Amino acid sequence: MNDTTITSTTQQIVVDEVLPHAPEAIWKTLTTGDLIGRWLMTPSGFEPVEGNRFTFQTTPAGEWDGTIHCRIVELVTNERLAYTWRGGHEGNAGYGSPLDTVVTWTLSRVAGGTRLRLVHSGFVAPRNDSAYRSMGEGWKKVVHNVGDVAGEAR
Amino acid sequence: MPRPASLDTLMRSLADPTRRAVFERIVQSREVSVGELADGSGVTQSAISQHLRSLKQAGLIADRSQGRHVFYRAQPKGLAPLVDWMGHYGVFWRERFVNLRTLLKEIDP
Repeated sequence: MNDTTITSTTQQIVVDEVLPHAPEAIWKTLTTGDLIGRWLMTPSGFEPVEGNRFTFQTTPAGEWDGTIHCRIVELVTNERLAYTWRGGHEGNAGYGSPLDTVVTWTLSRVAGGTRLRLVHSGFVAPRNDSAYRSMGEGWKKVVHNVGDVAGEAR
Repeated sequence: MPRPASLDTLMRSLADPTRRAVFERIVQSREVSVGELADGSGVTQSAISQHLRSLKQAGLIADRSQGRHVFYRAQPKGLAPLVDWMGHYGVFWRERFVNLRTLLKEIDP
């Protein structure tokens, strides 16, 4: 892609919600292998220690076997958990293309529970220029539809 | 490998600012003819036609013939290769938050 003028930049997904539970309870669901399996996906080799490497098995695409490789890069009990989230293959475009991202969970105690913030960062996407801005609602719909399709493939 | 080729075609097609402007015009209208796109754009009809060919090849627009006229409309799905991972995880994480709420209700009532 060295013959185009579109420059790459990274983007992130953020989900931020207040859950009516103590940080300790939420922390347990984020850092216990069999509990992770009950709401996210079943991890293989997960241990709640910094440097731990584990994997998730997702839908394969092309030459990629669907394995997500993770490594815990930060762990502060009841407060913060970050792991790398890597997968994909250069032979794929879109779903299944090379993915080198980081998933960060931040917990903070608030009235009535815990604010849980997920930041999935490092997505490489073309610069958010006018062509994309002009899509407006249509663009959001595209993203939504793409997600639906990807969801079906899972 | 047809898929990387199509991403390449897509990126190349959108890299041209004039072509991007043409694409934006098409996105904003339900359907539009070459003449309408050329009107007041300062770009000749034949240049517009070339851009339309590129956009069509990239899967960004579709056309429909009616008599002597050809009408163009946007194919938003053509942009999918650019956003697939993000679209995937955008939905994925929202769904997982719902699962997490359900699980927490169960184990920490």
